[in-house]
Amino acid sequence: MTSGLRRALELPAALLGVALAWDLYVRLSGVPPYLLPAPGDVGRAIVDLATSGQLWTHLSFTLGNLAAGLALGAVLGMAAGLALARVPALERALGGPILFLQTAPKIALAPLFVIWFGLGATSKMVLVVSLVLFPVMIGMLVGLRGVDRRLIDLARLLQLSPWQRFRRIELPAALPELFVGLRVGAVQAVVGAILGEWMSGRQGLGYLMTFATATYKTPMLFAAVVLTALLGIAVYQAVDVAERRLLSWRA
Amino acid sequence: MIRIEGVSKTFSGPGGPVEALRPVDLTILSGSFTSIIGPSGCGKSTLLRIVAGLETASTGRIANEGEQGRPGFVFQEPVLLPWLTARENVRFPLDTSGVPRAEGDRRTDELLAMIGLSSFAQALPRTLSGGMRQRVAIARALSYDPALLLMDEPFGALDLLTRDRLNDELMAIWTATRKTIVLVTHSVEEAAYLSDTVVVMSARPGAIKRIHTVDLERPRGERTKLDPRFHQLMADLRRDLA
Repeated sequence: MTSGLRRALELPAALLGVALAWDLYVRLSGVPPYLLPAPGDVGRAIVDLATSGQLWTHLSFTLGNLAAGLALGAVLGMAAGLALARVPALERALGGPILFLQTAPKIALAPLFVIWFGLGATSKMVLVVSLVLFPVMIGMLVGLRGVDRRLIDLARLLQLSPWQRFRRIELPAALPELFVGLRVGAVQAVVGAILGEWMSGRQGLGYLMTFATATYKTPMLFAAVVLTALLGIAVYQAVDVAERRLLSWRA
Repeated sequence: MIRIEGVSKTFSGPGGPVEALRPVDLTILSGSFTSIIGPSGCGKSTLLRIVAGLETASTGRIANEGEQGRPGFVFQEPVLLPWLTARENVRFPLDTSGVPRAEGDRRTDELLAMIGLSSFAQALPRTLSGGMRQRVAIARALSYDPALLLMDEPFGALDLLTRDRLNDELMAIWTATRKTIVLVTHSVEEAAYLSDTVVVMSARPGAIKRIHTVDLERPRGERTKLDPRFHQLMADLRRDLA
């Protein structure tokens, strides 16, 4: 068996193991299904959600906010990082407040965003953007600061335009640090998207969780949890694939 | 011709201004090969960087007559873009200055053949040896056909054998193209072997101590290294440096 195939099978095998242990526990311990449903019940709940069309409605809502928030947060974070790197005065002036915001739990801002941006998709997207923006900005700033001085000399010798210098030299050189920020941001983005849906609204996997909890539909709650976990893994994998493609030149 | 007139450089250090370079006057003839040697900290690299436009002189001026355009510059380390292949690194200056693709391809292939790296065109810098990387850096500096080629201790980090070979390659390039070359080095042998003129600098603050005109015949080769005049020149240079 090739190592690639083995790696591809490792995760499903582990998940299958967990599901079997879980099933065995439910059968042997007699724990009531409203506390811990069997994996089969959870699977049925997922199928039910899928066949009734609810799955797609909620998943696409969450995924949409997540993708848009992640993309917007990444772009704004990169722009902010670039601005801080280019204008030292800006960094001196904003360094303190940024650190303050960075250490404050931004989750605490979620209720505020609901008041400011309403119960709809906007407040959820703003929350995701605010969670992604900071780690990406820091990654960009650190990356740009770490660019080899001699590469900047090269840009001057070759009389590159500011855009060429950024696009052809600084951005690729800053990419490793940028991806560190993006990884952190991607994980936070999933948390933010779900949390925003807990707070308000009637759509999304987060809403599905609060709904299932309120109505004691435990299998449905578990289904939403599983789907959220899969979504998180998918987002992280997407970042990973992008990183491996863009940084393939590294050893 | 490049006329360096009263060029000096003072850096602002933590303990006040530091004079790195006393006012320097030097004329570099078009098509000549000039070496600048001196002890560490004599400002020879600073002078080269001022000529390249990477530093601004504190006083004086540089009159550039006939060597306009982007100068070629070779750093002590190759300073390649690690995410580009050898080929892409060589053509980087062409791609960023709007040279047509076909023209860029032709020029790049010529240069890769000249430095003997045609079969490594698609290799990433990290997979190349130090000597190969420096060859790529030289080819990159030559890609846009600069009238002036500035080299800042380009072979200092290489082993002796590679260094000797690259010296001969550099001399071949100069013979074929007759570019104006200024080489900063701390190797007396390298300076004597390659140059028409050797400028000796003294340290702290840097200033020109003596200028030697080298009258060894060209083409030079292994026989030059046996010539008593070559050894006399090296002895003179070493004495000046001491």
